[in-house]
Amino acid sequence: MRHIAIRWRTFGLICVLLSGCDDGSLPPTTTTTTSPPPASAVETMAGGDTAGYRAAIEPREFIFPSDHGPHPDFRSEWWYFTGHLESDDGERFGYQLTFFRQALAPQAQTRSSSWATRQLYLAHFALTDVEADVFHSFERLSRGAAGLAGAGGNRPFRVWVEDWSAESIGVEAFPLRLRATSRESPTIALDLTLEKHKPVVLQGDRGLSQKGEGAGDASYYYSLTRIAARGTIRLGDRSVPVTGISWLDREWSTSALGKGQIGWDWFSIQLDDQRELMLFQLRRADGSIDPISHGVLVAVDGSTRSLRYQDYSIEVTATWRSRHGTVYPSGWLLNIPTASLALELAPLVADQELDVSFRYWEGAVSVGGTENDKPVRGLGYVELVGYAE
Amino acid sequence: MTPLLRRASFRHLVRHPWLIGLSVLGVAVAVAVVVGIDLANASAKRAFQLSVEGIAGRATHEIVGGPVGLRESVYVDLRVQGLRNISPIVEATVAAADDSGRTFQLLGIDLFVDPQLRSFTPRFDNSGDPAAFLTRPGGTYLGRELAQQLNLAPGDHLEIRAAGVQRELEVIGLLAPPDQLSRQALRDLLIVDISSAQEILEKEGYLSRIDLILPTDNTLAKREAELATQLPAGVELQSKSARAGALDQMTRAFRLNLSALSLLALLVGMFLIYNTMTFSVVQRRALIGTLRALGVTRRQVFSLIAAEALVIGATGSALGIAAGIVLAQGLLTLVAQTINDLYFAVSVTSVVIPTSGWLKGALLGVGGTLLACLKPASEATSAPPRQVLARSELEQKARREVTQAAAIGSGLLLMSAVLVALPSKNLVLSFAALFLFVIGFAALVPSATLGMLRLLKTPMRHGFGLLGVMATRGVATTLSRTGVAIAALVIAVSVTIGVGVMVASFRSTLIEWLEITLAADIYVAPADPGSRGGAKTLDPTMLWTIEADPRVAFASTIRRVRVNSPLGPVLVGALKTEKLGFTAYRFAQGDPDDAWQRFQHEEAAIISESFAYHKDLQIGSTVELSTDRGPETFEVAGVYYDYGSDQGVVTMSRATYNRYWDDPAIFSIGIFTQPGVDRERLIEDLRGRLGLQENVRWVSNRDLREASLEIFDRTFVITEVLRLLAVVVAFIGVLTALMALQLERAREFGVLRASGLTPRQVWGLVTAQCGLMGWVAGVLSLPLGSGLAVLLIHIINRRSFGWTLQMELPLMVLLQALALALGAALMAGLYPAFRLSRASPALALREE
Repeated sequence: MRHIAIRWRTFGLICVLLSGCDDGSLPPTTTTTTSPPPASAVETMAGGDTAGYRAAIEPREFIFPSDHGPHPDFRSEWWYFTGHLESDDGERFGYQLTFFRQALAPQAQTRSSSWATRQLYLAHFALTDVEADVFHSFERLSRGAAGLAGAGGNRPFRVWVEDWSAESIGVEAFPLRLRATSRESPTIALDLTLEKHKPVVLQGDRGLSQKGEGAGDASYYYSLTRIAARGTIRLGDRSVPVTGISWLDREWSTSALGKGQIGWDWFSIQLDDQRELMLFQLRRADGSIDPISHGVLVAVDGSTRSLRYQDYSIEVTATWRSRHGTVYPSGWLLNIPTASLALELAPLVADQELDVSFRYWEGAVSVGGTENDKPVRGLGYVELVGYAE
Repeated sequence: MTPLLRRASFRHLVRHPWLIGLSVLGVAVAVAVVVGIDLANASAKRAFQLSVEGIAGRATHEIVGGPVGLRESVYVDLRVQGLRNISPIVEATVAAADDSGRTFQLLGIDLFVDPQLRSFTPRFDNSGDPAAFLTRPGGTYLGRELAQQLNLAPGDHLEIRAAGVQRELEVIGLLAPPDQLSRQALRDLLIVDISSAQEILEKEGYLSRIDLILPTDNTLAKREAELATQLPAGVELQSKSARAGALDQMTRAFRLNLSALSLLALLVGMFLIYNTMTFSVVQRRALIGTLRALGVTRRQVFSLIAAEALVIGATGSALGIAAGIVLAQGLLTLVAQTINDLYFAVSVTSVVIPTSGWLKGALLGVGGTLLACLKPASEATSAPPRQVLARSELEQKARREVTQAAAIGSGLLLMSAVLVALPSKNLVLSFAALFLFVIGFAALVPSATLGMLRLLKTPMRHGFGLLGVMATRGVATTLSRTGVAIAALVIAVSVTIGVGVMVASFRSTLIEWLEITLAADIYVAPADPGSRGGAKTLDPTMLWTIEADPRVAFASTIRRVRVNSPLGPVLVGALKTEKLGFTAYRFAQGDPDDAWQRFQHEEAAIISESFAYHKDLQIGSTVELSTDRGPETFEVAGVYYDYGSDQGVVTMSRATYNRYWDDPAIFSIGIFTQPGVDRERLIEDLRGRLGLQENVRWVSNRDLREASLEIFDRTFVITEVLRLLAVVVAFIGVLTALMALQLERAREFGVLRASGLTPRQVWGLVTAQCGLMGWVAGVLSLPLGSGLAVLLIHIINRRSFGWTLQMELPLMVLLQALALALGAALMAGLYPAFRLSRASPALALREE
């Protein structure tokens, strides 16, 4: 999913440009009073002008490992890692490490300076410490040039923003190493080796995920729904060896959004029985859900079953008010009658709002419920965008 | 003070408007010169500080590399290793392409990190478009004020010249400075993306520096040391304040010299006030005697005179401060021009008026006036009433004092000599010696005047008969007034001699030096004028074509760069030449043949005289420099004369330079032709072969000499202006002194007229006396002026800049001085002569 993300994430980039924040931890004090209202910012960069970029119009053949790399002719692209980790002592953690690419111009120019670029890279790193009930989030932004940030290159899988990176260890895309370190005190860091456990899942129609009415109002979207993770996290002076599971979402697109959409709720669920579920719903200003919303259920063998909007329902069971006054949903009931699944989702930590240059909630959740009255359990990640002012 | 006294004082002032008016004017001009120079200096310094601080933003440190900057990978590595709060910068001074002479600072930044260090660098703005800024080559943000000045709006284009090449910038957006410091910084900044900056300046792969913030707490030293170890050889971490301090230090001597010259003008002004006050006391001796006889106390008389001085001083100072502010605007342009020519780019357009600036002027004006009135006031009060009434008594006393003054003067001269002899480089001490010398000499003037008058008596009698004798005697017998007037004239005229001789000596030294040093026949250099230190360079491959021509005997190349050293920034010259080119250097220390051998084969350097002087170095000393390979020491093989830089230069062979620095660039080429070659033809052929390069200038050594002298003359404009201002003060002084003197003698002339002197003869007598005084002053100013010149050249200049100048006493300057003294004196006599000759004797006698 995350087509809509184009707008919101683009807006995020603008916010960063606007505040000039180097790190998410820095207060955005530099936002000047001369700043325009956000709408004009969105218009300036995200607004309409998609001319010259390639668009996701029809299903395409995905080729790996090259499709793990960047697609610079599309306007936006991301590499989205989320996962759940556990220490030997049973301490539980959630993490998110996301890399965004945003093109600023449709055509590359021949320039002699290695700093010249038309690509921006933004990265978010978050760690949820369940036992301590604490959430940390950080941000990096850089030009995709001069070796500061970028994707592709000499490895089958490589994307990095300064000292945060996801890159293949060997000649194959996997195993993959994720690294991110906050440079603030206390140090929060992540160093994981990821092994692919299930094949690539092509979302939507053979990887073409339609988001709006028009042709090209779509993205290319694939996921790796079950990845084994092993490594270390660092919390201040403490190094904690961890193991766990991860999820990778890859998506690239160009076109803007449908009218009236204000945000979305996105769910990725990894059930203990080795099945996975992805669902999203696009929320509209009038409170309704856009019927183009969809999802997928991945079987143990990796085979998939598409879920249409009418195949599932999502009921909010609790809310949480952030310290910025934003009210987010904070508990859900997912019903998928066609699969006989009824799942109850609860955040592992209530406050998992990323307080970076644009605010959203992305957090680890516990999953419990029934399938044909038999209990099922699992872990998940939920993304809530468009609630914050 | 009683109303009676106040009225008496007021009446006196009102009755002598000319005298008072000129005194006020004299104080005003002197104060104006001091305030003007002070404000111009302060403004230049402040503008420089503000632009350094403003551009530095919150950055506390910078990481710098060698002559061509540092490799961009240094930054990328630090950043990717996780260092925060650092910002890469590519910058240079560029010029407007319209030949307006306007310069800008082109600042290449990375938008994603720079706003963390600087509050004014581009951020998202209504009129801005960061995407365009990042992706369009030459996309530029600039401050609103600058845009208004240049009449630019977003979307407009701006042509600039960078490294000799014309480039086009596109205005992407305008920046509103968030505070005053940013406003200053933005005044001449053109902010481009770092990629554009590299391309415009042809610095691909390199950064000018990396700005960074280190927390200034007790971990600073540790962090500095830690970071320094992460940097490759030839790349250094330095604090911003250290760099600003080093730059400020460069211009300190220059500014101090200007201040001292302005104080000389004040000194002349003080003599003028002294003269006026003495005169006004002398003139009222009868009144003062009467008042004292009537019971007015000494203290009251003293206060009366002090109050008058205060009024003159305060009025003059107020006018002077106002005029000084106006004057500062003009002087500032000259100061900034000189700093630009000699040191670094500084853009100053407005005068800042710190309280200290005008306060100093007021203190000097009022204080100086009070100081100057001290002696006349105490003289008027110290004598018993009966004596004050007697004019003859006063003159006798003046005669006695001549001897005293001579003794004091000799003492001051001795002190001056002691100060000069002290083995110190302290400039303040040097200026103290200079002032002691001037005041000491002035104290000798009365006795010297008497001596000269004795000598002149006979020629005057033969030349002008009785009137001649009368004139001579007249000057001598009124020494209480003429003495001071002549001293003021001597000082004023000698200042013009001293400064004039200094500039002339400097110029002739420079001409001679250029003659010898510019040994090559043809010079090739980047076309942009005013490029210091080789910011612009030539394509080194040009040399191949030049050397291939059979008419070329050989070509030498020079590259000058500023590199860091433990002694601060040092100008390093890389010289490739043959022995013939090398021996064109004139050595102050060392044998040219020996120095050549060691220069060629032992990696030894030769250093310029000013460098040797400032850093206390001689042959055999070593100089440590930061090279691309890390710190290296170079031995000194010789010390040569160089008047190109007052900071000094360390010159090494190109081969040595190439071993320690990765910088193939050359700044200029000197072509030594075979004998009998047609130079014009050769230039034409070489230019043809190398293709049309409009950014390269080909000049004969004669033209280059002329161009160098042109810059020299430009940098001395301000000195000349100061000299002229001193002349103006002097002129006003003489005018006041002599005019008052002659007018006071109305009664004497009345008697003479009554005794049968014709108006014409009175005219002649007044003129003769004035001429005589002018002549005496002119002649006496010659030794003082020459002495001043010696001090300026061998002490002040040497200690300020480390240069040895060959002193030259141009006859012209001396004749000018005589003419000035004589002319001013004669002119001063015009009005009194006119009035006295026309006055009816009866009226004049009624003055009694």
